[in-house]
Amino acid sequence: MPLLTRLIPIVVVLGAWELVARAGVVNPNVFPPVSEIAVRWVQVFADGRIWAPLWGTLWRALAGLAAAIVVGIPLGLLMGRARWAEWFFEPLFSFGFPLPKIALIPLYVSWFGVFSLSKVMLIFTDCLFPMVLFSYHGARGVSPIYLWSAQARGTGPVRMLWRVVLPLSLASIYDGIQVAVVVAVLVAVVSEMVSGGGGLGELMIRAYRYGDVRTAFATLVTISLIGFILFKLAQWVRGSLLHWHVAEA
Amino acid sequence: MKAFSIAKLVPLALLLAAWQAASISGLLPKAVLPPFSDVAASLTAMLGSGELISHTVASFGRAGAGFAIALIVGVALGLLMARRAVVQRAVEPILLLIYPVPKPAIIPLFMVWLGIGDASKIAVIALACLLPVVIATFNGTRSVDQMLIWSAQARGTSERRILWRVVLPAALPQIAAGVRTAIAIAIIVLVSSEFISSETGLGYLIFSYGGAGADDAMLAVVIYLAILGFLLMSWHAFAH
Repeated sequence: MPLLTRLIPIVVVLGAWELVARAGVVNPNVFPPVSEIAVRWVQVFADGRIWAPLWGTLWRALAGLAAAIVVGIPLGLLMGRARWAEWFFEPLFSFGFPLPKIALIPLYVSWFGVFSLSKVMLIFTDCLFPMVLFSYHGARGVSPIYLWSAQARGTGPVRMLWRVVLPLSLASIYDGIQVAVVVAVLVAVVSEMVSGGGGLGELMIRAYRYGDVRTAFATLVTISLIGFILFKLAQWVRGSLLHWHVAEA
Repeated sequence: MKAFSIAKLVPLALLLAAWQAASISGLLPKAVLPPFSDVAASLTAMLGSGELISHTVASFGRAGAGFAIALIVGVALGLLMARRAVVQRAVEPILLLIYPVPKPAIIPLFMVWLGIGDASKIAVIALACLLPVVIATFNGTRSVDQMLIWSAQARGTSERRILWRVVLPAALPQIAAGVRTAIAIAIIVLVSSEFISSETGLGYLIFSYGGAGADDAMLAVVIYLAILGFLLMSWHAFAH
């Protein structure tokens, strides 16, 4: 479908919003027109107010995500190939999966303080689940033929994981990263809304407390854009690194 | 998810035993993590006094209301989108626009519009659960075997009856998968919204015990929430 026809419904909704907000029936400070939100969004970038919170949220999300990738992939691959690791860890991860990890915010604050560390650790914990589970399923799906031929050539267990299982699990691992990227931004923002410490989440909750709906909206747009860009970036990395991948049933 | 088996509880029991042993031996100071026995005692006490039950009712009232709205609107919208091209063209771009917005981040805005009470929480939960239900219903309806619809039409079945008796049952497995995602999302958004502003509910309970330094009571609620979440998901897998 051409882009233009896809834009029509969005234009209609935003136009209706603008009209309602300008009709004088609602308080423009509670329900501001779209145009004013757009102006505010440009303003927060122009006057530099958004940059510090933006970097705060971004580095926390990426640090937690990176740690989860580094720990989660080897653990998941090990679970997929070693019986004892699967026996011990698989139940723990499936029991922990339905627990909303943000419920651990108060515990993490008492362990790691109210500043960045507790937030990064929480993002790490939450992202660990998709990373481990997707790596695990990837490793379990590796065809035994590859393992047999590597074994027949005398490949050791560490080399096997690194050179055979990891490359063949990459498709699933990248799926995990795409899930985890979204989780990382979400947890960063929620933890900042709940326990402060700068970042876009705190900026938003503060704007709400001062009744500054325009800034709150501009922040929400920024948060959504970060999530969207990171997700697309992960997708792009996947596409450009995985073009060689053997499609397996 | 694989079938539930007692053997899967062994690693969990080992972990809890290690926790308890570390606490008793003094390796794990009480200020860092209270012994598991204290947490279990708090959990029993809170269950006995009815405190947990009343907060559970408050939480699940909110989550249930939001979830129910999302289910009704989501299935209806997904069906309509799949069966009527006009609806799809009108709604799909808007859904794509809302999709990347982290739903808990909308909580402050809804609090401005709907107040800090239950209405704003229910609205955010409904919106967050809506997307997976719509997408699953849409995809499920789209993939219904056209033969089924043709044979129903050939027998003179009315359009509405086809929707109810042919399309919906055939799409049910996919809708169920969307519902499962929606349950998980509902719990996350619920706890976030109760952290941000609430005086009842399990999220509030965790946050207020955590703030008061009553770690054993806080962990008791966290574990209780984990068990509830697990039961909700596995009940769903079982029904499925």
